[in-house]
Amino acid sequence: MDTPVVAEGLEKRYGETVALSGVTLSVERGEVFALIGPNGAGKTTLVRALTGTTEPDAGTARVLEAEPTAVDRDRLGVLPQAFSPPGRLTARELLAYYAGLYAEHRDPEDVLADVGLADAGETWYEDLSGGQQRRVCVGTTLVNDPGVLFLDEPTTGIDPAGRRTVWRLIEALAEAGTTVFLTTHDMAEAERLADRVGLLAGGDLVARGTPEDLVAEHAGSSRLEIETTAEPSAFEDLAFPVAARGEEVIVRGVSPADIGAVVDYLDARDLEYSGLSWSEPDLEDVYLALADETELERTNRTDRTGETLAHTGETA
Amino acid sequence: MSVVDRVRAETGAGWRSFVRRRTAVFFTFFFPVILIVIFGALVRTDPTGEGLFTEPPAYYVPGYLAVVVLFTPLSRLGSEVARHREGNRFEKLATTPLTRGEWLLAQTVVNAVIIGLASLLILALVVILTGAEIAFSPLLVPYVLVGVVCFCGVGTMLGSYTDSRDGAVAASNAIGLPLLFLSETFVSLEQLPGWFEPLVNLSPLTYFARGVRAATYPDAGTPAVAGVDPALANLAILTALAIAAFALGARSIPRTD
Repeated sequence: MDTPVVAEGLEKRYGETVALSGVTLSVERGEVFALIGPNGAGKTTLVRALTGTTEPDAGTARVLEAEPTAVDRDRLGVLPQAFSPPGRLTARELLAYYAGLYAEHRDPEDVLADVGLADAGETWYEDLSGGQQRRVCVGTTLVNDPGVLFLDEPTTGIDPAGRRTVWRLIEALAEAGTTVFLTTHDMAEAERLADRVGLLAGGDLVARGTPEDLVAEHAGSSRLEIETTAEPSAFEDLAFPVAARGEEVIVRGVSPADIGAVVDYLDARDLEYSGLSWSEPDLEDVYLALADETELERTNRTDRTGETLAHTGETA
Repeated sequence: MSVVDRVRAETGAGWRSFVRRRTAVFFTFFFPVILIVIFGALVRTDPTGEGLFTEPPAYYVPGYLAVVVLFTPLSRLGSEVARHREGNRFEKLATTPLTRGEWLLAQTVVNAVIIGLASLLILALVVILTGAEIAFSPLLVPYVLVGVVCFCGVGTMLGSYTDSRDGAVAASNAIGLPLLFLSETFVSLEQLPGWFEPLVNLSPLTYFARGVRAATYPDAGTPAVAGVDPALANLAILTALAIAAFALGARSIPRTD
């Protein structure tokens, strides 16, 4: 069984709202597949369709070679998005409780240590911080050492150190052969963890591939951001496409070797600037390129900062 | 991992969750106590008078027990199901080996222990405060247990079909209060209009009240059912209703959105 998760033509509507419109995907054994997309894109609905907690209107899904409602649940780990377990059980008791539901389970103490909460084991869930609570929730999905793990926004609310703890856990699981399907709004998380990324927008899987491939195909070129109050027209003679956003001018397609030429251009024209930052395109650029349009339509805005772009070259 | 192990894990979690909500524990026991104090000790029965509370104190034992056997499962299960829905706990449990029936069984066990203890307290208070002369029949145990099973099923349905915890509690009160007073608990059938009798017979609590009365207060003259001892016949009817309520309650628990 090398493809534990398979979906073909999944469709789901809630009244007039299309949550999924023919999603087809597969996830290989030991692969980490990250699903990204705007709020309301259908990510949670897709997770639910794959875990048997919602019935698709059309299409088929198979997990561990069975329909989602008939899958061997001893081999499944699921973290729902807004999951909140009983508040007056301690972290230790919660993990022991969920472990007790499975035929075979790990030692809850080990899971507690894995999610970095060994010192908070005796604290009631409702008294833990938001990030600690989410880590307990992640722990509840690991107690049965699942073959397939569905995590709907697993690190929401977790501090950076805790997030890395969870990331290392997921990486170790995948290395050991666990198939991981996760949704996230954290592009760094997707880029670090995922073997493949799928971008869901408006119920459609509009792009999928390795983070590197997606960046190469959709993220555009590198960017040099110049903090300046100079008018965009002052950059007309620059040999690179330029866009203005607030008190920033964004120069596209600049390689590290070209930065000096841009600085010379600024100095030659006495254009004052307070900072320069250069970055390679990343998954966030992919997201913005493919999904931001949906968001802009939804919020009736013209760019993600809420300000109108002053175009002198290409759109930033 | 067997069914027993899964139910044990769920029961343990449910029990701890309940006993750590001290307000809920307090009022589970305080509510019937205050009713006994008000009606049994302050208002008191008047077998020679007219109107309510004209029967001997022992007549009202099923009513006092019904306060916990009916209300506690309705309100607890209703709000527990709503709480589970709000926290997406059923979505999580649906992906574990625990079945809906096992979940409800575990909650029923928790309620049975709580209500069993409350029932002992009620019986003691009724005897001490009202001077009721009752027979301590062993049938009281299955009556309380089967009653708890029945109303846990009904409470689960309330929690499943209402859209919030507030809604579940309101629905449990709206259903519980009429049932409590119109099921031959505190108000005898003779005091109700004749056309109301079929409605009384629809209430599961009626069979609890008739059966418990037959078991604890034989002088009440509870009628036999098709020639069968009323203490046993009513238990059989209540058991059938409890099985149906449990099955429907388990089936109503949401597994999908």
